[in-house]
Amino acid sequence: MFKRLTTAASISVASVLLLSACGQADTKEAAPAAQVANQQPADKSDSKNAVAGDVGKLQEEVAKLQEAIGKKDAAEVKRLGKSINDLWLSFENTVRQTFPLEYTEVEKYEMPIFSASAYDKIDFDSLKGNADKLNTALEQLKNAKPSTANTSEILNKAVDNYKAFVDEQADNLAAGTKAFAAAVKAGNVEQAKQEYIKARVYFETIEPIAESFGDLDPKIDARLADVEDEKTWTGYHRIEKALWKDGSLAGQDKYADQLIKDTEELQKKIKELKLEPKMMVAGAIELLNEAATSKITGEEEIYSRTDLVDLAANVNGSKTVYLAIIPALNEKNPDLASQIDKQFLATEELLRGHQKDGQYVTYDKLSTEQIRKISDQLSLLSTLMTQTASIL
Amino acid sequence: MKHKPKQEGVSRRDFLKLSAIAGTGIALGAAGVGAIAGIVKPDQAKTASAEGERIPLYGEHQAGIVTPQQTYMYLASFQLTGSDRSSVIRLFKDWTKFCDLSTSGGTMKTGDNALLPPSDTGETLDLPAAKLTITFGFGPSFFREEGKDRFGIAAKAPRYLKDIPRMPRESLDVSLSGGDVCIQVCAEDQQVAFHAVRNLIRMSTGYATVKWLQEGFISATPGKTPRNLFGFKDGTANSEHDSSSGYDEVIWAGEGEPAWMKGGSYLAYRKIRMLLEVWDRTSLKDQEDTFGRYKESGAAYGKSGEFDAADATQMPATSHVHLAKMSKQRIHRRAYSYTNGIDPRTGNVDAGLLFLSYQKNPDQQFIPMLRMMQSSDKLNEYTSHVASGMFACPGGLREGQYIGQSILEG
Repeated sequence: MFKRLTTAASISVASVLLLSACGQADTKEAAPAAQVANQQPADKSDSKNAVAGDVGKLQEEVAKLQEAIGKKDAAEVKRLGKSINDLWLSFENTVRQTFPLEYTEVEKYEMPIFSASAYDKIDFDSLKGNADKLNTALEQLKNAKPSTANTSEILNKAVDNYKAFVDEQADNLAAGTKAFAAAVKAGNVEQAKQEYIKARVYFETIEPIAESFGDLDPKIDARLADVEDEKTWTGYHRIEKALWKDGSLAGQDKYADQLIKDTEELQKKIKELKLEPKMMVAGAIELLNEAATSKITGEEEIYSRTDLVDLAANVNGSKTVYLAIIPALNEKNPDLASQIDKQFLATEELLRGHQKDGQYVTYDKLSTEQIRKISDQLSLLSTLMTQTASIL
Repeated sequence: MKHKPKQEGVSRRDFLKLSAIAGTGIALGAAGVGAIAGIVKPDQAKTASAEGERIPLYGEHQAGIVTPQQTYMYLASFQLTGSDRSSVIRLFKDWTKFCDLSTSGGTMKTGDNALLPPSDTGETLDLPAAKLTITFGFGPSFFREEGKDRFGIAAKAPRYLKDIPRMPRESLDVSLSGGDVCIQVCAEDQQVAFHAVRNLIRMSTGYATVKWLQEGFISATPGKTPRNLFGFKDGTANSEHDSSSGYDEVIWAGEGEPAWMKGGSYLAYRKIRMLLEVWDRTSLKDQEDTFGRYKESGAAYGKSGEFDAADATQMPATSHVHLAKMSKQRIHRRAYSYTNGIDPRTGNVDAGLLFLSYQKNPDQQFIPMLRMMQSSDKLNEYTSHVASGMFACPGGLREGQYIGQSILEG
C-alpha cells in the first residue's frame, strides 16, 4: 500500500531521488482554500458528494496530464503538476477527515507528480505510472464510503499499511546496496557516491526498525565514533570514509560484500517482523528524534556531509506513520491531525529550500541560523507527533 | 533572603496530595502543542506554613524587581516566531498559567497518561516554591522589528524603550544581546529556578525560540550587601531609595507612559566579563582606588561605614563610585555573578557580572551614566562588556490577567 518511496525510487533513475521529502509547495497560497475545505460537514454523507465534484475536476486535470505525458510536452507536464497540486490542496483536508485511507493513496501518487514538476529533467515513464495510479486512486475516492471501522480495526489496518511500506523499503535497501556495492567493487568513485546517497535514504526512512535488530544495525550503520576498535568497523560509513575522505576504494571490496550480506539479512528479518501499533508510533517519534539529534548536528555523515538527505528521509519515514494513523487520529483527535499535517508541510517546505538542482546541499553549506531554523521546526513537529501516542 | 532548610517548606508533592483530596485539580484546555495539558494547584488554605517560601505573582508591580535578591537567577531571552498576535497571546497565556502555578509551589501534571510525555518535567516535585519570581520584559523588537509592526502594537511602545546605543570599549556578541521577550527567573533554590526556565522554554515550542540563556548567582548573609567576584559590595546605593517613595522616584515608570507601563520599569542588562586573574594580581590599593571604596567595609573613601554618604571629592576621579556619583543619577541594581568554564586558550576563568538595573527613565538615569563609565571608568581595565539589552517590564498582574494582556488587547 505504502509505495511512497518506491515511487520516488523509480524517479531516482533520473537522479532526483534525493527529494524524498517532497510535499506540496505553495502551502501559503493554498491555505485559505484549505481552511474553507477544513470546515467539517455536519453529516459525513454530505461530504461525499462535495468531494466527488472536486475529484471529478481533478480527474479532468489528470487526463490532460496523461495526454501531455504521451506527447512528452515537458512545459505542459510541469504546469499541470502544479495545477493538480493546487486543486488537491484545496480539498484534501476534507478528504483526510472523511476518507483517510483513500486520502493516503491519492497523496502518494500526487506528491511525486508535483515534485517532478519542479525538476529540469522529466522522467516520462515514471510519471506515466504515477498518473495512471493517481487516476485509479481518484476513482476509488469518488466511490468511497465514509469509514465505519472501529478503533482497533483502524489501528490494525494502519499497522498493515505501514508494514507494507517498511517491507518495501527493506527491499529497496537491499537492491540499492547491491548497486552501491557494484560501483564500489568496480572502483567507480563517482558512481559509488551517487549510489551511496540513494541507498542511505532507504535505511534512514526505516531507521528505528533496522535499529531494533541490535546485531545487524551496528554492522550496517556504525559511525567511526560508535566503534571501539577501528579495525572492526564495517558498513556504510566505513565506505563513506573511503569515498569522501581517503578518495580511494582500495581494500573496500570486503566491506561492500559484507554490506550486501547484512542488508539482505536485515531485509529477511524485517519481513518476518510482527509490528505492533505501539512500536510503529514510537518509531515515528524516534525518527524525528534521530533527525533532531544526530542529523541536525551533522554527526551522521561526517565525510559525505549529506546529513540533510538522511534528515529528510527520517522526516519522510515519520510522515509515513502519520499518514497510516490518520484514520485513528480522526477518530480520537482530529485537531491534532490537522496540526501535524500543517507542520509536516512546513517542514518539507523548509527542507525544500535547501535543495539545489534537486539535491540537498551539503551540511557545511548551512549557516548556524538555517540549522537553528530546521531544529526549531523539528522540535515543533516532534512535540506534536509525541501526542499521537494518545491513539493507542 | 537566607536559604531555608527545605524541610520547613511544604513540598510540591504535598500540594499534589492535598489538592487531590480537596479535588482542586484544575484542568485547563490543552494549548497548541499541549504544553499545559493539566495543572495541579496547591491548596492555599492548608499550606499556610509555606507562606514564607512564596512570593505572590500578582500585585501592583511585578515581583523580582524590588524583591530582595534571591540566590539564583536565570535570564532567558526569546524571539517570537509566530506571525500573528493570536499566537503571542496563546504563548503568554500558557506562560502566565505556568507562572501562577510554579510561584505558588504547584506543578503541572506529571503522569496521568503513561503513553504520553508528562506535562511537567518533574524535578521540583519534592521542593518548595523557594521564593520563585518570574519577571517579564519586552525588547524594542517586540513592538517593531526592522520597521515592521508585526503584532500591531507599535503604537503601544513605551516612551524610553530602545536598544542601548553603542558605547566605547564594548565588544558585544549580538547573538547574546537583545530579544523580543526577556524573562528573569529567580529563586533561593537553583533547581526550582531552572525548572521554571526550562519549562518556559519547553512551552514556547512553535511560538518562540530561545535566543540566549544566562545563569547567575549571588550570596550574602541576610541584611548584608552581596559582593561581586572582585570581592566588592554590589548594590550598596540601593539602600538610598529603599522605601516606597524611593521606589517611585527611581524605579516605577508612570508619567508619559502607556497605561500598561505604569508601575512597570525598564530593565537594563549588560553582561560584563571580569578578568579575574588580572584583578587578583592587582594590589589592594589599586583595587580600592578602582572602586573608590574600601574593600572589606564597603565604606566610601574618607568614610567609615558602608552606608555613610559618599563624598565624590575624596575618591580618585576615574573610580567607579566617583563616576556613579558624578552622574547624580540613581538606579536600582540587581546584579548576579556568572561563571562559564574557562577560556581553553589561556586557562583563564570565564566569569563576570550579569549587570541588571531597573529604572523608570533609562535615557536619564542609565545611558549617560553608562557612557561616562565606558569612557573613563578605571574598572574598564579589568572588564569587558560582551552583551547588552533593554527591556520594558510592564506593571503588575491582577489575578485572571495574562502577562502583556493590556498591550496585546484593547
